[in-house]
Amino acid sequence: MSQQSSDPTIYDGLMFVSLGAVIVGIVFLIMSLDGYGWSAGAG
Amino acid sequence: MNNIVSKILIVANLVFSLCFMCFAGAVFTFQDGWRDKANKTQEQLTSANGQVSQLLGDKELLTTKHAKEFGDEKARANKAEAKVNGLDLNLKQAIGNLTNAEKERDKHLVDLQVAQQEMQARQTETNDARAEIKRLRDQNNEAIAVRRGLEDENLEMEGAIAEAGTREVQFLKEITHLNELLRLNKIDPRDPVIGPVPKVVEMVDGFVVESRKNSSRSAELVQISVGSDDGVFKHMKMTVYRDSNFLATIQITEVYPDKAVGLVIEETRSGTIERRDNVTTKF
Repeated sequence: MSQQSSDPTIYDGLMFVSLGAVIVGIVFLIMSLDGYGWSAGAG
Repeated sequence: MNNIVSKILIVANLVFSLCFMCFAGAVFTFQDGWRDKANKTQEQLTSANGQVSQLLGDKELLTTKHAKEFGDEKARANKAEAKVNGLDLNLKQAIGNLTNAEKERDKHLVDLQVAQQEMQARQTETNDARAEIKRLRDQNNEAIAVRRGLEDENLEMEGAIAEAGTREVQFLKEITHLNELLRLNKIDPRDPVIGPVPKVVEMVDGFVVESRKNSSRSAELVQISVGSDDGVFKHMKMTVYRDSNFLATIQITEVYPDKAVGLVIEETRSGTIERRDNVTTKF
């Protein structure tokens, strides 16, 4: 077992940025679907 | 090696996540326009469907109407076709009649030409006959004139005959009277006459036409209006007078049927003789 560093790198930050972008995209899609009478509960 | 792949995957994940976020945002941003466009399209589609339905209804109506009109027109066409067939037959008959009429016309034209030639010949004959009639009329007029002349002559002759008959009767009476006188004087009328017998002087009255003296003015000649037709004869003595005055005695020297010329006996002259003085045998 080699010793691994626990300090976050730039790539960890990029991963979070990607997560945020996906979430924002999902929010946009949900809002768009609301315009067509779609609700999250009704599926 | 694993670190490099992980890093690449992380970067790819980041890129695609950002793309996903951008596309979702774009969809959220333009969805209203797309919806409006879709609604308009839907409305247009609905309107088009309504128009299509109306047009289909109109089409049905028009189809029904046109079918009815087609039936009517077909019936009319059939009638017209029958009528045309009838007219065609009539036309054929008319053409036949026309052909016959043209033949008749040609025949009549030929007859007409013959009749015209006949008419011209008749006209020529009529003109000739008129000329002949005119000539005959002229001859007739001439004959009438000649006949009238002959009738006049005939009347004159009849008058002369009647006058001669009257004179004959008078002469017979005179002869009878003379015979009676001779018997009373004891003279036989059948005895021959010995010596010259003076002519009987009849009562003749006339007038002086012209009086003229000769070149030596020693004698005067008088032309009178009576001649031998009136009983005047040569050497006859006549008396010239005016009113009741005796002028002279003349002796006839020239006698013509309707006039005579006398020489004035100067021993008997008691006046000047002028025109229109009276002349008589028994003054």
